[in-house]
Amino acid sequence: MGAISVDLAVNGLITGLFYALMAIGLSLIFGILRIVNFAHGEFYMVGAYAYTLIALGLGVPVWVALPLAFLFGALVGWITERTLMRPLYAGYTSWGLMRDEYAVIVTFGLSLFLINLVDKVIGPYAYRGPPLVDASRIVLGPVLISGHRLLAAGIAIAVILITAALIKWSFWGKQIRAVSQNRLGASLAGIDTARASSIVFMLSGGLAAFSGALLSPVINASPDVGAFPAIKSYIIVVLGGMGSVPGSIVASLALGIIESFGAVYLSYQYRDGFGLILLMLFLLFRPQGLFGEKGREV
Amino acid sequence: MATISRRSAVRAGLASAALIALSVGAQAADPIKIGVTITQSPPGSVVQGTQVKDGLEVTAKIINDAGGIDGRPVELVIEDTQGLPEKARAAVEKLITRDKVVAITGEHQSSAALAGMEVAHRYHIPYVNTNGWSDAIREKGYAEVFNPGNYNNHVGDAVAATMKSLGVKRVVAFAENTDYGIGLAKVIGAKLKEQAPNVEYKYETLDRASKDFLPAILPLRANPPDAVIDVMLPPAAYIMMNQVYEQGIAPSAKTWFYDASGLADYPDFWQNVKEAGKGLLVFGLYHPKMKQPPMGKQIGDAYTAKTKNQPNRLLFQAADSLLVIADAIKRAKSTEPDALIKALEDTKLTGTRGEITFSKEAGYKNHQWLDVPYVTFQLTDVNQKVENSALVEEPGHPLDAAKLWKPAK
Repeated sequence: MGAISVDLAVNGLITGLFYALMAIGLSLIFGILRIVNFAHGEFYMVGAYAYTLIALGLGVPVWVALPLAFLFGALVGWITERTLMRPLYAGYTSWGLMRDEYAVIVTFGLSLFLINLVDKVIGPYAYRGPPLVDASRIVLGPVLISGHRLLAAGIAIAVILITAALIKWSFWGKQIRAVSQNRLGASLAGIDTARASSIVFMLSGGLAAFSGALLSPVINASPDVGAFPAIKSYIIVVLGGMGSVPGSIVASLALGIIESFGAVYLSYQYRDGFGLILLMLFLLFRPQGLFGEKGREV
Repeated sequence: MATISRRSAVRAGLASAALIALSVGAQAADPIKIGVTITQSPPGSVVQGTQVKDGLEVTAKIINDAGGIDGRPVELVIEDTQGLPEKARAAVEKLITRDKVVAITGEHQSSAALAGMEVAHRYHIPYVNTNGWSDAIREKGYAEVFNPGNYNNHVGDAVAATMKSLGVKRVVAFAENTDYGIGLAKVIGAKLKEQAPNVEYKYETLDRASKDFLPAILPLRANPPDAVIDVMLPPAAYIMMNQVYEQGIAPSAKTWFYDASGLADYPDFWQNVKEAGKGLLVFGLYHPKMKQPPMGKQIGDAYTAKTKNQPNRLLFQAADSLLVIADAIKRAKSTEPDALIKALEDTKLTGTRGEITFSKEAGYKNHQWLDVPYVTFQLTDVNQKVENSALVEEPGHPLDAAKLWKPAK
């Protein structure tokens, strides 16, 4: 294996980890609430700005600014759920017929609102977040990598594992999974489904914002920075199986590596097309994704 | 038969005279509407749009404070294109049909200019392109389109001359996937063939919406080229620069980093690139040490007073765009399209950067100010202001290699 292949494999895995961190929140919302959240990329953008402005504007240490960005994203998620999403499951029978349209229109509107709000209030300029460590180049055998990128990859692994563990074993995680399986049944079993929905939105917003914060020294915060992670996240959620967290992780890593090698050995021009080709193939031959389950509604 | 008295006739005559006088007065004070299309919201470059808007507003104020154009004030009618061709097309349509503007200017993105100028051509309304560098804008040969700003062939000539002076053998350009980026990357290749045929050149097209350019950058690490050229705009350009730097490719002792897009005078440049900008060679259309006509100094001072920012190239390009329109209206004594276009063709105006004239040759020279002054400067320290950078090539002079700085490793 040549040095370039090691380089590409490492870069692909790190990119995949970043994709996973971006996509998990979207996967949770879709899997549990069955809502297509078009504003997911903007939660990411909010986190990138929150971290950068808290650290640079207020002079707060980066290790404090990072969790604060998570909390800020969680707050935006909570407000979104309480103000915009509650009508979806508030018990109005008529909403059932237009549920999907409502979610698409509302979250699309929220996306445009957040982009333009940041553009007007903070300004159009890009901001590079402060790195967690100053080392701009670290040599690891044949791989040259910035200290921040390496550390961010490690943090991404930790956050992904903690999130997966919380959903699998924690009290709230079990409640969330119950709601995802059968909202009415969970409600009859005494689970506060509205609160579970709030938690999912907070967790999703927080994870997206954390991801934006972690990557802001790499991708520079700007009002339209959310478009890229949003597109990648949608591809990953479909590939991994809608609502499946392990599926999202596997799909993210696979996409990162395929893009990395494909860009060099096939064509850089079509790099972002590889994911879309996979998406089409999956929709044709395995629409439930890697880890999703076949389902049918009557 | 009805008769009127002499007194009534006099009264009617006086009233008519007063009405005529009033209407003439009103006409004299009627503003001359100039349409402006710029990017004020993403995904286009809002930074550029803001600089152009400030430049046009500062210039309009100077014109109006001096009595306007033959007593009529200039009024800017601004439309946001988001840098999108379809929005630019709709904006120009609206400005011409609803706002009744007499000319359009301000456009700073080639793709949007190429779309907007089609509408101006259809309505036969003068279109003064402020900062669309793509040669395709000129090659259409439209009578309505005038270009006091920079153009890709000009940059291509400058880049090729600089590469020749640096004595490089292998050059790689990173170009964004737009009319501007791909067009300029191709022109640089053609100009290098003319001026330095021994230089091996290739360019890689990068998606400006992407955030990870490492797969395109990593293959360079094993055998870095002698120069890397940036043909991208922010924020993608900043991300690419940082990743090229982090991989130890450029700027380095082996590899020059040349910016063909004039990034260094963007207000957010240093915040976004830090160490990656140290050693950068920059193609510039403005440098504080450049000689400028008095109008340039006046516009620069007014801009700094208004925005608290240092002058930049887009300020002067925007100012010149409006100045040539105002000058043409004044000479034509009309805002009718034919008269205005004829006057624009005959332009000979000392603007903010020199004497502006428009070529009547075909191709990329069509209605182009050919002698747009340019410089090459080098940033030799992090957070260095442009005014403190090393001016290594002055307008009309060859690059002074003795002034160049290179990193130790």
